[in-house]
Amino acid sequence: MKITNILNALGLILIAFGIIMLTPIAVAVMEQEYSSIIPFITASFVSVTLGFLFQRYGGFSRNFDDIKRNEGLLIVSLAWIVTAGMGAIPYLFYGLHPLDAYFESVSGITTTGATILTDFSLYPKDFFFWRSLTQWLGGMGIIVLFVAILPQFAVAGRQMFFAEAPGPTEEKVTPRITHTAKALWLVYVVLTVLEIILLVVAGMPLFDAACNAFSTMAAGGFSPNPLSIMGYDNSSVTWIITCFMFLAGGNFALQYRVLFKRKPLALLQSEEFRFYALIVLLCSAGLWVALVVSGTAGLIDSVRDSLFQIVSIITTAGFSSADFAMWSVAAQTIIFTVMLVGGCAGSAGGGVKVIRVLFGFKYLKREITQIIHPKAILPIKIDNKTVADDIQRQILGFLLFYLVLMTGSALVVTVLEGSAAVGLVGTAATIGNIGPGFGEIGPMGSFGGLSVPTKIIFIINMVVGRLELIPFLAMLHPDFWSFRRSAL
Amino acid sequence: MDLLIYGATELGYMVALRLYQEHSVTLIDDLDKLPDKFNSLDISFISGSGADVDALEQANLKDCELFIACAELDEANIVACWTVKKIVDIETICFVRTMELYRNLVSPKQNRYQTRYDIDTIIWPEQLLTQDIFRIISVPDAIDVEYFAEGRAKLFEYRIKEDSILRDSLVMDCSFPENVLIVGITRDHNLFIPDGSTVIQEDDKVIFMGTGPALDTLAATIFQSTNSIKSAVLIGGGSVGLMLAQQLERAGIRVKLIERDKDRCVFLADKLQKSLILHGDGTDLELLESESIGDADVTVCITNNDEKNLLCSLLVKQLGTDRRIITRVSDARTAQLFERVGIDVVVSPRDSALTELLNRVQARDVNILALVEGGQGEVLRLTLPAGFTDTRVMDVKFEAQAIIGVLKRGRRLIIPRGETVIKAGDLLKIFTMAEDAEAVKTLFAG
Repeated sequence: MKITNILNALGLILIAFGIIMLTPIAVAVMEQEYSSIIPFITASFVSVTLGFLFQRYGGFSRNFDDIKRNEGLLIVSLAWIVTAGMGAIPYLFYGLHPLDAYFESVSGITTTGATILTDFSLYPKDFFFWRSLTQWLGGMGIIVLFVAILPQFAVAGRQMFFAEAPGPTEEKVTPRITHTAKALWLVYVVLTVLEIILLVVAGMPLFDAACNAFSTMAAGGFSPNPLSIMGYDNSSVTWIITCFMFLAGGNFALQYRVLFKRKPLALLQSEEFRFYALIVLLCSAGLWVALVVSGTAGLIDSVRDSLFQIVSIITTAGFSSADFAMWSVAAQTIIFTVMLVGGCAGSAGGGVKVIRVLFGFKYLKREITQIIHPKAILPIKIDNKTVADDIQRQILGFLLFYLVLMTGSALVVTVLEGSAAVGLVGTAATIGNIGPGFGEIGPMGSFGGLSVPTKIIFIINMVVGRLELIPFLAMLHPDFWSFRRSAL
Repeated sequence: MDLLIYGATELGYMVALRLYQEHSVTLIDDLDKLPDKFNSLDISFISGSGADVDALEQANLKDCELFIACAELDEANIVACWTVKKIVDIETICFVRTMELYRNLVSPKQNRYQTRYDIDTIIWPEQLLTQDIFRIISVPDAIDVEYFAEGRAKLFEYRIKEDSILRDSLVMDCSFPENVLIVGITRDHNLFIPDGSTVIQEDDKVIFMGTGPALDTLAATIFQSTNSIKSAVLIGGGSVGLMLAQQLERAGIRVKLIERDKDRCVFLADKLQKSLILHGDGTDLELLESESIGDADVTVCITNNDEKNLLCSLLVKQLGTDRRIITRVSDARTAQLFERVGIDVVVSPRDSALTELLNRVQARDVNILALVEGGQGEVLRLTLPAGFTDTRVMDVKFEAQAIIGVLKRGRRLIIPRGETVIKAGDLLKIFTMAEDAEAVKTLFAG
């Protein structure tokens, strides 16, 4: 690995990120919160300066064409860690402990939506805008963002693009990666703008509409309202957000085809999307029954709440239209189940991803059939295409590692916190980038009261979960760390 | 008619054999490798390649009316056809053996592209074979089925079993539904056209012709085979196996396909949606038993090896007694042997291809619609010329053995009886013995 390559790329990303960090100032001016200008200018300055320092060290090279796979993985991982660090700087000005600030920033940029805040009234609007904006930036993937906006990454982007989202399907809308990244962002922006408009029409103030739309499309879950979506007490808002969350959990490449390539059936033809819709419908129905039986809510309200909550959790947004931490155990079990699924590949959602779950089921079905027909050749097909052997192995490996990591993290956190609910559900909620869990870390609760080691574990969970494990796993191998300081 | 054949292959031999008596045939190929049997044919030979302009010139291409390319190599056939078209505009028939090329050449899309492929007829024997097998499967119990007039008229061939009500009765006494005729009977591998006094015997293969619904009634009442096919086993996963499995899947029939080559299995499993692909040998009795092959409604043996097909068929016959077995044979002589040992249906890609080819070779107003019993019988299609005087069917003086099966007047289909009057402009489908075909044509031509 060449350190110069990595520093150069990171420097470039930091400078760009620093410039983006100036946008909350516009909001500060509009909302006349002039005290909020300083934090963002400082953060932006730090980010840009650091970026220049990195670049200087790397020799200001603009040539990223020979980035190797390992370098790509490291750049991607560091990009998330460092940008989250920069994103935490403004929070420091509002009296947050540095670890809390970093937790909040990581939670934002990985679109998790777990918060350490307890009292929302202490902070100005700009603070909440920045929280939602970090989610929006992270939603489509930090690297996808920079591949789309930085022409220097035209070639190297390929390595990094797939390092960031190593899904089993290589969804490319156009042959060139920069075009693909731009296409994905186009869909993302169009849907976000549409949602803001609809929310405003439904009666939400513009500021809240923008923040919630940013969090929705990113499948993040930060809301400027301390009671999340429940706080607006507006049925049509709930329905609008349900719809957009559902889209945020779908494959953006396919949505691009639907919206811009006039292939209206592209989504329905995707087996993953159909399975995703099926899970949502079945689990919502189950949740609805659980809610009605336990008498938590009325028949009609339950339909809305169960659908909203299932979509919110499966897409890993983590909004709440009701305090589901207070629901019956049956209802919570259903919610926990969908926590383990996640969005579709190529979506803003995190988690295991629907396609891997779908594959898992097909794999089990195949094994059962194989017992009855030992000589049969049974390929696993998704979208009528056979899944290649190496991809099968990769998916199985992913599922296994996910399980190992989750068990490990859950055990340690359970010991640290003395609560199995926080340990297991908190782990599932952070590694899957969902956000709220049950109990004290529920939708109306906060992660603020957890111990320091737990927060660190959760921070790692969030980043590792967002990067879909692969870059993290690669780093565990000693050969990954063979640096080379080559001539420039 | 002068015609030119490129390719001294088995198929080329069959084509030449079938055509050399009526037409003057020239064969182009590398003469050093010419199989001996060609020497028994009264045809002329040109040494060279079908894609070679000099060789084609030498063969007097300009006087030919038809060019048939049936060499080993698909690409060579295609290039030969194109070369011919460059020299002179005559009809070309091209044989291909791979799915991709066939798809390219026949795809209706090709007309949208800049230039067309410009080959008049593409024949892919295995595709025709697949069609034939599928037709036989989709009509239970019949051993041969042909469709005419877009499926409105059909030809069924049934074997008379021991318990059949038609057994030992006179043809004139048989009570069929209306619009069905017995046009031929095969007894001890000899086809003949029966008359009213012919007695139907056990093991006869009786050929019926008629309209679709009437034959369906026949099948339901006389042959009582309403139990339709639900599951099929295919042994051999070549092109025919693949295409057949695809067709059967579409028809909602459960398919098990046994293939010996592992890589081919993986390929098939990738291409087919619902079929169960089994990796193993069709002659592996243990595999056949454990997969309960004997329970399938129909078994099709379509490996490219006749001996293997025979062995598989016999094994399957042991496993399930009253199941139908369809077997592919490439050699016409082996076909008879197969029938002797009790395999219900034998099909051959060459027969299928030959029917198609002869159909194209015949003059425009006469068409062979089907070949029956390895070419012993034919179904001819001919239109009565304008000067034809109205005649009752019973008054038509056939000097040869022939029977008018279906009569098409305008859009109406008529199954004629003795008193039916045939008129000029009628389209007749006549069942006749192959050797009498010419006589029938002359009779109606004048």
